[in-house]
Amino acid sequence: MLALREIQRGGGRFAAVVGALALIVFLVLVLGALADGLFYGATGAVRSTTATAYLTSTDAAGSLVRSRVDEADVAQAAAVPGVTSAGSVGVLLTGGTGPEGAIDLAVFGIEPGAAGSPTTLVDGRLPAPGEAGVAAVDTRLEEKGIEIGSTISVGDVTATVVGLVADASYQLQPTAWTTVATWRQMRDAVRPELRGQPTVVNAIAVTTEGAPPVAALEAAVPGTTVLTAEQTALAIPGVEQQRSTLNAIIYTTLAVAALVVALFFALLVLEKRELFAALKALGASTGRLGRGVIVQAAVASALGIVAGAILARLFGLAIPAQVPVLFRTETLVTIAVFTLVAGVIGALFSLRRIAKIDPATAIGGVL
Amino acid sequence: MTESVEPILRVQGLRKTYGEGHTQVVAVDGADMTVDEGEFVALLGPSGSGKTTLISMIGGLLAPTSGTVGLGATEVTAMSRKELTRFRATQVGFVFQSANLVPFLTARENLLYVASLVGTPKKDAHARVDQLLEELGLADRAGNLPEQLSGGERQRVAIGRALMNDPDLVLVDEPTAALDTAMGRSVVELLQREIKSRGKTGIMVTHDLRMVEYTDRVFEILDGVLTHVERPSALEH
Repeated sequence: MLALREIQRGGGRFAAVVGALALIVFLVLVLGALADGLFYGATGAVRSTTATAYLTSTDAAGSLVRSRVDEADVAQAAAVPGVTSAGSVGVLLTGGTGPEGAIDLAVFGIEPGAAGSPTTLVDGRLPAPGEAGVAAVDTRLEEKGIEIGSTISVGDVTATVVGLVADASYQLQPTAWTTVATWRQMRDAVRPELRGQPTVVNAIAVTTEGAPPVAALEAAVPGTTVLTAEQTALAIPGVEQQRSTLNAIIYTTLAVAALVVALFFALLVLEKRELFAALKALGASTGRLGRGVIVQAAVASALGIVAGAILARLFGLAIPAQVPVLFRTETLVTIAVFTLVAGVIGALFSLRRIAKIDPATAIGGVL
Repeated sequence: MTESVEPILRVQGLRKTYGEGHTQVVAVDGADMTVDEGEFVALLGPSGSGKTTLISMIGGLLAPTSGTVGLGATEVTAMSRKELTRFRATQVGFVFQSANLVPFLTARENLLYVASLVGTPKKDAHARVDQLLEELGLADRAGNLPEQLSGGERQRVAIGRALMNDPDLVLVDEPTAALDTAMGRSVVELLQREIKSRGKTGIMVTHDLRMVEYTDRVFEILDGVLTHVERPSALEH
């Protein structure tokens, strides 16, 4: 009763701490959306596929682009117990042309139906096995005027768009999914130095039941390293670094939130020392008064979270579509929980001050 | 009467010292006092005489160096901190110098708050608040915040708060300190009436001799030494 009435009638002072928390939550949510946007934009092509693991050449340190493996090894990987499917994966980061002009592209050559095929088809179809001159493309290319039936070209190689896939970007570039043969034509068109390597691809994707049999796969295909799809996503250059940097900023900012709450309630308790002494004299325990402060911190944090989330959402609507931000409910919930915990932790620092207030000071005093 | 009734409040050899050695200060020096149920007594003394220390020990706010305080069946000086908190909530009502009401609670809520400390059922608490505020002439001020009340009204709310949990003992600390004479008189008169009509036991700390007439007996404390006086020494001048 005490705690909530004070917020209700205390007016401005709580508005100040709620406002500060709202701005902090806003900042953290935007950073979180940027972290998510960068992560999803960089890793979609290896997360949204049927592959549970990728084999890359050991010297590539897990990077698909750097890796070189031979198509002939796919059969060996497929023969490993536990592997239900294996397929070649070719990757080409390049520029291409769409109906409205130049486009950035990450061309993925796959064996349709085998491991490594995208699972996020939202319209149309994937290329059929062995089908040349067709591609399923990233939905992000729709803003470049590309739709089913459009033609895209890389160098002098063209492909007709037959399907659209979502959440499938690679290193923030929209993807085009073709057969390995079409991919290789495109590669040879823009990377003449790689011509004459008709069996070289970038990686072997495998689908496994349960955890990938890493040791058996590495033994079956010498010179390769096996990383799970998730590890492969994190091995994409910059992904891990971006993620840890942004997370460090987010956690530091949340620590600031705890500090703001701690300072606010330290001041509030200091200001109410006389009142708390009187209430203790009347028989209010330290625990009861402390719980009140924690409830206030939780309510102030909750209000700050709601206001911050609204601000972040409005910000999300206002920024241009090219900015890689992604507002995910999971991130919102995580940040909300962390903020609430930070607020409560901040308030806990006041408990010692409350405990130290001597009820005997309620008597005497003025005279 | 062959059987003597034991006084409700029994203070024996109560002593409080601060510091050690030659810097030791004796705040209360072996005070003995008994107060009967239904009595309203005054504790007179100049500032620094030890009256605050004495009343704090009686009210379970301060642990004595030695000596005992008993209230009814309760041995106050034998209780733990936690027990003392409970004791103050249930058995003692305090009226402070400056009413010290919770500024963001209405008069009514200030009374309900102390009821919540002892877990009074809401319905009973509401009925009791209404009755108390009516008696104290505050029925139409129940929904006002302390800042909207006059000094006298605030002190009347504080009296209601002290009586809310039906305590055995009401301790009143300089209730007129923040009031003018007329208002001070009406507050102390009300206090006396409420304490007497309920058969409570009250101790009022004051340095204001004009308030003594409302009390049954007078104790005087000077340099930590408590004496029971028929007439306060200052009145003899």
